[in-house]
Amino acid sequence: MSALTLDVQHVTKRYGDGDTAVTAVRDVSLAVQPGEVVLIMGPSGSGKTTLLSMMGALLRPTSGAIHLDGSALSELSEGRLPAIRLHQFGFIFQDFNLLSALTIRENVALVAELAGSKRKAAREKATEILTDLGLGARLDFLPEKLSGGEKQRVAIARALINDPALILADEPTANLDSKIGHEIMRLLRSIAKEQGRSVVIVSHDQRIRDIADRVLWLEDGEFKDVVRMATDPVCGMTVERDDAVSVERDGETYSFCSKGCRAEFLGGAKSDGLTHGRAIVRRARSVLAQLASGTDDRQSSG
Amino acid sequence: MSATWLLARRNLLRSRARLTVSIGGVALALTLVLALDAIFEGVSRQLTAYIDRSGADVWVAQSGVRNLHMVASWLPATTTDAVADLEGVALAEPILYTTDSMSAGDERGWAYVIGLTPDATMGGPWDVVEGAGQAGSGEAVIDRRFAQRAGVGIGDRVTLLGREFRIAGLTDGTASLVNSVAFVSFDDFAARRGGEPAVSFVLVRAADGVSPDTLAQVIGSNVDGVTAQSRVAFGLAERKLALDMSGDVISIMNVIGFVVGLAVVALTVYIATLALRREYGSLKAVGASGGYLYRVVLAQAGLSVAAGFLAAVAITAALSLIVPRTGANLELAIAGASLTKVGIVAAVIAALAALLPIRQIANLDPALVAREGV
Repeated sequence: MSALTLDVQHVTKRYGDGDTAVTAVRDVSLAVQPGEVVLIMGPSGSGKTTLLSMMGALLRPTSGAIHLDGSALSELSEGRLPAIRLHQFGFIFQDFNLLSALTIRENVALVAELAGSKRKAAREKATEILTDLGLGARLDFLPEKLSGGEKQRVAIARALINDPALILADEPTANLDSKIGHEIMRLLRSIAKEQGRSVVIVSHDQRIRDIADRVLWLEDGEFKDVVRMATDPVCGMTVERDDAVSVERDGETYSFCSKGCRAEFLGGAKSDGLTHGRAIVRRARSVLAQLASGTDDRQSSG
Repeated sequence: MSATWLLARRNLLRSRARLTVSIGGVALALTLVLALDAIFEGVSRQLTAYIDRSGADVWVAQSGVRNLHMVASWLPATTTDAVADLEGVALAEPILYTTDSMSAGDERGWAYVIGLTPDATMGGPWDVVEGAGQAGSGEAVIDRRFAQRAGVGIGDRVTLLGREFRIAGLTDGTASLVNSVAFVSFDDFAARRGGEPAVSFVLVRAADGVSPDTLAQVIGSNVDGVTAQSRVAFGLAERKLALDMSGDVISIMNVIGFVVGLAVVALTVYIATLALRREYGSLKAVGASGGYLYRVVLAQAGLSVAAGFLAAVAITAALSLIVPRTGANLELAIAGASLTKVGIVAAVIAALAALLPIRQIANLDPALVAREGV
């Protein structure tokens, strides 16, 4: 494995033409250093997966350039991209995407064979990696016999088998419970730190922020300054500090998605004379009253 | 086993129901082709059995007559001596021949009726299972299966050439799907034809060291009004006639078998590929080349068809053992040429069946795996 840096320069991805064109990623730049864990977060539809696909040579940018160790991925011919993906990147998908007909060892060894390894060597290496990941007793199991966490560990082993410099993970914890999800993320972090591989993770899972060296916030296809983003301590929603409802307490600024959450945070403090819960009840009553009034109107007019 | 074959084999075995349908469909389709070929081959062998087992090296017939089935051949009786006098001829014997109906009890069928001289060493029955092999005056030697179906045996009566004959012997290997061979005495046959001094064919045995083809040429050049062919050439002409009569039917059934086999394999491989679209997409995403994935699909189609082909051969071989035991005058013979033909048909089916799934994979966008999970 060589120490590579992925350099994304002013990349834009646009789908469609003319009036129907949709810009999924807009003028994004990013450099990933060896051994770094980068977490790209953002709401659904923000362009995270599109960006990851371009970084992994699965998708060509409409404009801009992506360099891997100095060579421009975005300029390589279509025919050369599979080999780049096979040797330079390790992919981890949300749904694991393991081959259902093969045992987990064969799943992992197959990718090594595709990269040119002999069958015996590929099996030995797959066995070694899977054993290191705690799956030594399940080498000959089919994926369907494994739990979600185990399947994701197989996917990680598959991503590692060809000794890639970069691991690209798309929502790796989406189908896992909280505890297993955290274990998987710690595993990815240790791989990055111990083996010097770069890891780029795309996720909207707030719980995995702590394992990243750097967290980037992608929204509407653009990176927002993550420093300007804050998490509502009541509902967990990510909000922009500038637009959020804020309150200062003990010298720290808290940002909220709404006055209701702020009121609830303040614990009994009044907001228009009502707590957040009461405000919801009052709004609900108001809506019901309007509905009832509308019904009456219809009845009277009829 | 390479990564290609491993994945292809496992994908096939993953859904045993689909595999069974695929192999079963191919097997039945190819059996249709193979069994029909085997029936044709068997019937051809039966049709030429008399020629093949006649013991003659050369058949001499009326000029222009090149086979036995559906022909009449009349030569002057002197032709036998004219042939016998030629150099290179060890022995020349006449036979009388016609196709006639044969009946016994309620059973009725067509027969090649052969009139043999009392001292004939060629053209007689070759497998006498009961009674005499040589028919005396008023006697006939007939096929055992016909006798069984008619419920008659040695000493019973059979009607041939418009008169009754006493059954003197029963033979084996003298029945085909369309007729059997019956033997009567030369004089009885000649009497039924008005006693003309004529023969149908002259059977010739070549002297040692003389090639039948060469001898046939010598006879043809030196005896007027005859067509002389080696036994092999005469048999081939008979086979060609049978092929001409049934060639269209065989061709149609071959095409039907080919289309059915192609449809079954194409559909099952297509469905299998469709079901695994997500997995193929993820393989593409991690870096598998299009060529690798195409080979996997092709290998899947190839394995299905190869298994179907072997099953078809096994089914046809089983039929070739079972059918003759049912009492039917039908023999199935699997010829090497037929196996080669059906094998090529199977390979073409596999290649064509893989085209559509390959196209499907070629159009598969690996980015979809990441974006939508395909």
